[in-house]
Amino acid sequence: MLTSLSGSTILLCPKTSVTELQQVESRAVKALARITQRLLQRGSASIVMEEIEPLSKRSSEDVSIVIEIESVLELLAENVRLHDSNRIREYLLRFTEIIDVVPRAVDAARRHFPEAQLIMEVYEDPEIEDCYLVLYVRLKQYDDSIVERLERAEAEFLDHLADKEGWLQLTTDFREAEDVL
Amino acid sequence: MGRKYKNPPILEAVCEFRLTEDTQWDLTVPGLFYERVKHEFPHREQRGIQELEVIHGPQGLQHVIRTTERVLMFAPDRNILVQLGPRLLVINALKPYPTWQGLKPRIEVAWKALQEVVDIKGLERIGLRYINRIEFPHQAVELEEYFDFYPFIGKRLPQEMASFVMVVEFPYVADRDRCRVQLATTSGVEAKTAVILDIDYFLARPRAVDISSGLNWVEEAHSHAEEIFEGCIKDRLRAMFEEVS
Repeated sequence: MLTSLSGSTILLCPKTSVTELQQVESRAVKALARITQRLLQRGSASIVMEEIEPLSKRSSEDVSIVIEIESVLELLAENVRLHDSNRIREYLLRFTEIIDVVPRAVDAARRHFPEAQLIMEVYEDPEIEDCYLVLYVRLKQYDDSIVERLERAEAEFLDHLADKEGWLQLTTDFREAEDVL
Repeated sequence: MGRKYKNPPILEAVCEFRLTEDTQWDLTVPGLFYERVKHEFPHREQRGIQELEVIHGPQGLQHVIRTTERVLMFAPDRNILVQLGPRLLVINALKPYPTWQGLKPRIEVAWKALQEVVDIKGLERIGLRYINRIEFPHQAVELEEYFDFYPFIGKRLPQEMASFVMVVEFPYVADRDRCRVQLATTSGVEAKTAVILDIDYFLARPRAVDISSGLNWVEEAHSHAEEIFEGCIKDRLRAMFEEVS
């Protein structure tokens, strides 16, 4: 039986066997790739991993849009609270052109608002039958500089949205950031 | 002709042609290619793709960063797109799947256009991949009720799984081709249980298929991928997908 669970458990214990050490090394490779991927996000990056591969070697680069979206969502989940990730997935499938803009926007928001809680959702505008991605910045306290800071962050990815189908809006709903453990 | 479904689980179909290294490629190729396919794929976009390759070599972990340009060309409905990069042609069809009858002509247009603008020396790899997302309305799922392809768990092991990944490669045509089938739980926090059934049929031996036979290979690959899909699922899933006659 498969049971859907939220959250995961990490066990910390000394590694003694060769197998365990290999697993640790394998995880280290993946962690290194993830860290480097984050660094590369500013330039629209993708990762190719080459490890000990018992099955046929996969194509040297992944060309699937779905896999690209899953990678972006996985990366986002570490930095952003995704409100209905399924809808975000569906949105990105519909507006594939902005997939590479999403990590740029999150990266810009994170750098300009290191203290903020970031929330992403698909917003539906009932008045004009339009929907777009919204990245909310939530702070513990707001001051007058918020609009200017938002504009500076937005300026870093706005050009990449030009002439594309789909939209991503960086904004705030002025709610208080929640404490995240 | 395979079975048809009102709600097929296909998220994406990917057809990939990778050319051998001895095929000459230059910066004029994307422009020349676009001229030939713009009636089908008018919206063009360029992307810089950076790849990090982490190699587990004799001197430990090494990494290489490569940058390539890739041109993306979208059909008017933007559900089908073509990706063109150095020695690489990819046709992606996104949900809603346009059916094989709708996708195959687009593959033909793109493949023929590439042959007109590039002197192709060989095929390193061809692939036809179907990524299916199957969502269940409830959290606890007895996989064996829905699938004929699932991880076997012995009676002495815990019967409840939080997540899994299962991959099998099947050989075809005397191991010239392979079909890699993967069933896995989706990542992330989901309210519903969902699995990804990923069927990737590919040419496992470089240059084993003539350039002139490329499209025949794709047709054959589609038949095998369809057989595999039907072989993986049970009637209970067919009912969920709403089979149509």
